Amino acid sequence: MPRAFLRNCFLTLTIAAIATAVAGRVSLHGQAGAFRTFLPASILPPIDRGVVADTSHAPDTPQALVREGMRHSTVTLDRVGISGSSYIAGRVIVKFRGGMSTQSRVRAMSTVSPTASLPEQPSYANFDVIRIDPGENAEAVAAALRQRADVEYAQPAYRVRSTFVPNDQYYKELQWNLPLIDLERAWDIQPAAGSNIIVAVLDTGVSYTNTAVRVHANAFRDDQGTLYPSLGDLTLNFVAAPELAPVSRFVSPRDFIWNDNVPLDFDGHGTHVSGTVGQLTNNGLGMAGVAFNVKIMPVKVLDSTWDEIFNAPAFGTDDVVARGIRYAADNGANIINMSLGRTGDPAPVIEDAIKYAVGKGVFIAVAGGNSFEDGNPREVLAEIASRVQGAVSVAAVDPARQHAHYSTTGSYIELSAPGGTDRGFGNNGYVWQQTYDFTLTDTFLLPPSLYGPPRFDVLAYIGYVGTSQATPHVAGVAAMLMQQGIKNPAAVEAALEKFATDLGDKGRDNTFGYGLIEARNTLRGLGLAK
Amino acid sequence: MKTIAACVFAAFAALPVSAQSASVSTSPGDPPGAAFRGFFVVTQQSFAASTTFDAIFGGSSQPFFGGGVQVTTPNGIFVEFGITHFSKTGQRAFVSNGQAFPLGIPLTATITPLELSVGYRFGATRWRLIPYAAGGFGRYDYKEESGFSADDENLNTHHIGYLVNGGVEVRLQKWIGIAADGQYTHVPGILGEGGVSQDAGETDLGGVAFRFKVIVGR
Repeated sequence: MPRAFLRNCFLTLTIAAIATAVAGRVSLHGQAGAFRTFLPASILPPIDRGVVADTSHAPDTPQALVREGMRHSTVTLDRVGISGSSYIAGRVIVKFRGGMSTQSRVRAMSTVSPTASLPEQPSYANFDVIRIDPGENAEAVAAALRQRADVEYAQPAYRVRSTFVPNDQYYKELQWNLPLIDLERAWDIQPAAGSNIIVAVLDTGVSYTNTAVRVHANAFRDDQGTLYPSLGDLTLNFVAAPELAPVSRFVSPRDFIWNDNVPLDFDGHGTHVSGTVGQLTNNGLGMAGVAFNVKIMPVKVLDSTWDEIFNAPAFGTDDVVARGIRYAADNGANIINMSLGRTGDPAPVIEDAIKYAVGKGVFIAVAGGNSFEDGNPREVLAEIASRVQGAVSVAAVDPARQHAHYSTTGSYIELSAPGGTDRGFGNNGYVWQQTYDFTLTDTFLLPPSLYGPPRFDVLAYIGYVGTSQATPHVAGVAAMLMQQGIKNPAAVEAALEKFATDLGDKGRDNTFGYGLIEARNTLRGLGLAK
Repeated sequence: MKTIAACVFAAFAALPVSAQSASVSTSPGDPPGAAFRGFFVVTQQSFAASTTFDAIFGGSSQPFFGGGVQVTTPNGIFVEFGITHFSKTGQRAFVSNGQAFPLGIPLTATITPLELSVGYRFGATRWRLIPYAAGGFGRYDYKEESGFSADDENLNTHHIGYLVNGGVEVRLQKWIGIAADGQYTHVPGILGEGGVSQDAGETDLGGVAFRFKVIVGR
C-alpha cells in the first residue's frame, strides 16, 4: 500500500513537473507559441566561414529577383494596387479623428465595406487595422474611408521591402567605405564611438542571441510554378553574431512579424545592416563598424522568404513599420535606421509615425531606394524623410564617389553614403559585414531536389550593395554626433548636411543630395573663424 | 586709414605747440609740457559677433587685460598706445536655427589688440574730472587653435581695425588717476571667412567695450 502510494505520488509529481515545464515555456514566449516554439538553448558555438565571395546580393541580380519573386509566390494575400505597389489583401489601415467611440468607428466602416471588422488596436499604434474580406479591393475601401470627415487617413497595408543588396572581407583589405567618409579621424575625436546611444535597426531582425526555435516549413511554389515540398517541423539553431556581441549590447528587442520579443533574423539583411552601424571594431577580428560601441535595438518589421515559408503571422507592411517606429521611439531609441522602403502611394501611417518619433528626439535615416535603373520611381518613405527635419533620405555612392548605378534619384534625396557597387570594382565594390552564410540559408534558391532546411548558425563576411548599406553609415555617424553633444534630430540633420562633401552639381542636387557624409568634419564642428 | 594716419601725425606734430603754450596756461604743479603716463586697463568687451562668441564660449562679453602709455599735452590733446590681451578656451560648436551645440572639442582663441589713438581731454589742466574722447586704429592679432586640428586648420592672423572711445578721467592724486570709458571697435577681415562666424554672417571681431584704467603719471 505504501509502495503504491509512493508510486502514485511520483507519477503525479512527474506529470505536474512536465506540465509546469510546458506551461512555463509557452508563457515565457507569449504569443509566439501558436506559430513557433522556442527550445532551451543548447547551441554550439557559431561557425565562422570567413569571407564568402558572392555577387548575388546586389540590386537586380538573378538571385535577388528570385528571392523577391519567391516571396510573392509564397504569400497568397499579395495584391498589386493601381500604382503598381503591392499590398496585403484583407486589411486597411485607418486613423479616425480623436474621440470616436468603437461603435462609431464600426458604423463608419460599415458604410464603406459590408465585411469590415475592427480588431483591437495593435500595440504601438495610434491607428486601427480594420479587417475586410480579402476579395474586396482594399484601395477602394481606403479611398472611400478617406472621404469621411471623421477619418484622418486611410490606406491599404502596402508592403515595405529592404533596400539592400548583399554580397562579401577585412578592414584594410575590403572596407573602402569607412575611410571614404573619413571615419578613422572621426574615431580619433570620439573613441567612445556612440557608447551612450541606442540605434534601433528596423529590419529583418538581427542575429543577436543564441537560441533554438521550432517552426513548420510549408510547401510552396516559386514564381515559375515549381513546387517545393514541405520540410515539416524544423528545429533551427540561432547564434549571436560574434562581431555584434555581447548580448548585453542589445536593448529592447521586438519582433512585429512574429509578435514577440525575439526578433530573429531569417534573412541576414538586418544583421548586415547592424554590422555597418556598429560592428565590433579594433578587436583584431573581421570587419569594423561605424559607431562600434552603440547599443542596438533590433526591431523586426520586415518579413523574409523564410518567415513566409514558416507562415509568420504578419508581413512587412506600412502599419507594421509604423508600429516599429513608434516602439523604438517609446523605448529609448536615439536613432532609427530604416534600410527599407517602397514606391507607390503615400504612406500617411508611416509619416505620422516618423513625425512622432522625431518629435520625441529620435533621428531617422531612411534608404533612398535602389530602383534608378528600373524607372527611377519615387521612394515613398525617403520622400517623407525629406519633409521632416530630423529624418534624412540616403542615396548611395560607389568607391569612386560616383553615383551608384542603382541608387534612386529625386528631389527628396538629402545625403549620400557608401552603398557600393557590383560593377567594376570586384570585391572592393561591396559593403562587407558579418552575417549568415547565405549559401546555407537561401536553400530555396536551389532546385527542389537540393532544397533543405536553412542554417542560421553559420556566419560569414558577406558583401552587400544598396542604399540599405549606405543608410547605416549615416545612422552610425549620427550616433557619434549625438554622443558628441548634438541631440536635437533637426540639428543632427543640419550638421550632417552642412559638413557633407558636395558631389555632383554645386549645392544640393537630386543625385547626391547635399553630398557624401563626412564623419570627421561633422564631429569636429566649427571654430570661431576656422 | 589715411585720415587716421594724418590725425596721428597731426597730434604728434602738435606736441611742441602745446608744450610752448603750457607755460602760459598751466597752474602751479601742472606739467610744463608734454607728459608721459602709464596705465593698466581692464576691458569688458561685448563682441559684435555675439552668436559666434556665444556658441564657442557660452557668452559674448569677454574680458581683456593690458596696459599702455599716454602722452598728454597741456592743450588737451593726447596720444595713447595700448596693448591688451584676451585668451580663452571654449568648445568647437555647431549652430542650428540659432541654437548652439557645443561639441566638447577644446578651442583656444587669443586676441591681442595693439591700439593707437589720438584724443582730446576737455579742461585737462583745470578740472579734477576730465572728460575725453579719442579715435584711432589698431592691429588686431588673432590666433585660434583647436584640438584634433591639422596645422592648416588653426589660424594665426592679424588685421587692422578702427576705434573710437570716450569717457572720463578722475585725478585721485598728483600721480594717480583712474578713467572709465566706452570704446567701440570695428575689426573686419578676420571673422566671417569660416567657422561659426561665417555661418552666422558675423564679420566684425570688434564690439563695444567698457574700459577701466588706472593711470600712473601726471
